[in-house]
Amino acid sequence: MKKAINWKFTLILLLIGFMIAVQYNSVKNPKIRDTRDIWAIRQELAEEKKLHSELLSEIRELDNTISTYKSLSESSAGQALNDTVEKLNRKAGTTDITGPGIVIEVKPSPESVAYGIPITSISSDLLTRFVNEVNRFKGIAMEIDGKRNTVMSSIRVINGFTSVNGLNVSTPPFKIKIISPTLSESEKLYNYLLASSIHDDFYLDNLVLDISKPMNDVSMRGWPEKFENLYLQELPKGE
Amino acid sequence: MWLPLLGLILGVSLGLLSDIQIPQLYSNYLSIAVLAALDTLFGGIRAYLQQIYDDKVFISGFFFNIALAAGLAFLGVHLGVDLYLAAVFAFGVRLFQNIAVIRRILLTKWSDRGKVSEKKFQE
Repeated sequence: MKKAINWKFTLILLLIGFMIAVQYNSVKNPKIRDTRDIWAIRQELAEEKKLHSELLSEIRELDNTISTYKSLSESSAGQALNDTVEKLNRKAGTTDITGPGIVIEVKPSPESVAYGIPITSISSDLLTRFVNEVNRFKGIAMEIDGKRNTVMSSIRVINGFTSVNGLNVSTPPFKIKIISPTLSESEKLYNYLLASSIHDDFYLDNLVLDISKPMNDVSMRGWPEKFENLYLQELPKGE
Repeated sequence: MWLPLLGLILGVSLGLLSDIQIPQLYSNYLSIAVLAALDTLFGGIRAYLQQIYDDKVFISGFFFNIALAAGLAFLGVHLGVDLYLAAVFAFGVRLFQNIAVIRRILLTKWSDRGKVSEKKFQE
């Protein structure tokens, strides 16, 4: 008799436990209602498509590299590898490059000179903002006061001085060089920067931007520092 | 004693792991059903302790109470009256009463046992 009661109690308790758990589930993490309208969804779709096309172009580039490797004979495989390394080095900003670009001079504003306001180093926030603004354009190379700014670079304040790659940026005036892939893209960047609101941000810090017209051969130095390779290891040969 | 507890744990983990969610609309019904189930459960425990436990009453009470509570809530929604509050009130009061009775019975048992062991000790 007692066994039968136990058995029934167990069954009922199982049911109760299940019900409580389901209730807990539904109260604790309710499914969020999708409230996006059609335009928001289209926007997201457009972003995904952009990503898709970027990935596709990347794949195409890699496919090209692979076919180069394949088409080359055994003896010139080394040459192909060297080319790739050279290309990667250029991409990472370790080599000196020359190309179409613009030179921007950051100067103290005439008003601040007239009033005798002391010239201070450019703030790291402002410089970061500027770099972000310029980075809307793809495939550019940038040099700030002689320091190459790449994806690996850091802009930060060290001992009160704004620095790029750990080296201090001198107080204004200093020059920022931007090299674009083609002259027309350089012109696009020039026009964009002329109309950009970044001027106001600089003016608030008593600085003005003097943007030169696009030139055909702007040259900049590479970033001489070596990469720190923390994760990749060379495979033993012959495997 | 342990088997029902095992059932409870099994049920809770089953519910949590399966990640079943009911729509917000029906969450009221489920909450009241849970309340009804708990009321029946404690009623059953009380009846068992008072030795008036009946299988049929317990099982039928369990399902009937749940159905009645959910039905009342459903009716309330359609009539625009919060009828489910009536069920919450009724089950809440009964729950408290049942638990109080269970407590008293257990207390009596416990003190009786104390007396018996004292007697044994004196002998």
